[in-house]
Amino acid sequence: MNLSRHPELLDRLAAAYALGTLRGRARRRFEAMAREQAPVRAAALLWESRVASFNELPQPQTPAPAVWTRIDNLLAAEREQAAMQAARTTPAATPPPNPRGWLGSLAWWRGAGVAGAVATVAALAVSLGLQNELGQERTRANGLQAELQTQTTQVAQLQAELQARPRIEYVAVLNDQQASAALLVTFDPEGQRLNLQRVGGFQEAADRSLQLWALPPGAAPRSLGVLTRERLLQLAADAAALRETPALAVSLEPLGGVPSETGPTGPVLFQGALIRKQI
Amino acid sequence: MSAQPDDTLIALLDRVAARDEAALKALYDLTAGKLMGLAMRVVGKTEWAEDVLQETFLHIWRSAGDYRASLSPPMAWLGLIVRSRSLDCLRRRGAERVHLTDELDDSLQDTLAGDGDDPADLSLASQQAWALHQCLRQLNAKQREVVSLAYLRDLSHGELAGQLNLPLGTVKTWIRRGLDQLRLCMARFA
Repeated sequence: MNLSRHPELLDRLAAAYALGTLRGRARRRFEAMAREQAPVRAAALLWESRVASFNELPQPQTPAPAVWTRIDNLLAAEREQAAMQAARTTPAATPPPNPRGWLGSLAWWRGAGVAGAVATVAALAVSLGLQNELGQERTRANGLQAELQTQTTQVAQLQAELQARPRIEYVAVLNDQQASAALLVTFDPEGQRLNLQRVGGFQEAADRSLQLWALPPGAAPRSLGVLTRERLLQLAADAAALRETPALAVSLEPLGGVPSETGPTGPVLFQGALIRKQI
Repeated sequence: MSAQPDDTLIALLDRVAARDEAALKALYDLTAGKLMGLAMRVVGKTEWAEDVLQETFLHIWRSAGDYRASLSPPMAWLGLIVRSRSLDCLRRRGAERVHLTDELDDSLQDTLAGDGDDPADLSLASQQAWALHQCLRQLNAKQREVVSLAYLRDLSHGELAGQLNLPLGTVKTWIRRGLDQLRLCMARFA
């Protein structure tokens, strides 16, 4: 049947199709005609767009503030995860310069200086400026050597400073109710982050999130972040957030977690002591 | 219905597509109330509607780049995401939902009982939504409700009759007449 010859019927069918009340065999017949006849397809699309406006008419309603917190937590967790993956795939980010390396390259610079000089000799053997050129090369090589010396001293100083700065590291093994290890947590003071490794087989449901809490004595639990589903993950944290925190806990929360101020709302699944590493 | 809010929303969606988290928050502040209202209307339960809203904004975060190709007004595009997430939510909770229909539809029974005008907030709405709103006002409240729910909750005549506790024949008649009136009216807005 050529529906485009029956504009009123086409309009009625397209409207019922878009509204969703055209069902079963009648719907499948209409879909088949839309695939074959462009005017039918156009009528269906027009009505789909018209009835989509029903979506814009309901009265607004204010969602609880926690909804944004959950979204924000999930975005933060996603960001951390992406950063970690990037760090893992980029081959070792620029290593810190070490004195041996600089000394090693000093020999190269000498060599380079000599090679440069030789080339200059070859090119300018008959030039009157020969002496002058050689003199300049020598001065440049001396300058570089002095610069290297300074840098070597600076590196040594920085290393001494790093050693003097207290590196506060923490570690925690969180156990489940059966006292089996479920989560290993270490704090990396340089990267200012917590490294987490799931060790049990626990996997939360698709509509739930695990949330990590610091449990300071005599104060309300403080959220340290929401866990993504990966086995290895990281959460940004600073040492201040862990000071005076003898224990950590993980609770089961709605997807995206809850605001820190409300504290855990779901059951505490894992907990364990947070230990300051001295070895 | 002016172009102004559309421009603001489109600019925000572009920034979200460029991974600007502040833009997502701004978009949320502008539209969350409206989208929450829609989710509530479809799933009928605050907790579920908030889950839908959360999923919606994570979806927007990931696919705002697809917005421009849709050629839709921004609120229409956002509304389609909320509706499809809401229907997913109802499908997932299908079993639970059977026991909840009574509680769920208290508000509907109120609407069906009265014949008052349906106040709508159209501050962000597209031209087309404004046209639909004008046309829906020509229907009586019951017809309006049945036609709206058929779309928003993707319900068949039979399901509507069941949920609203109305005879099947009545539902069919209301929908047919309501849709005929809408067709004639919407044709004038082209």
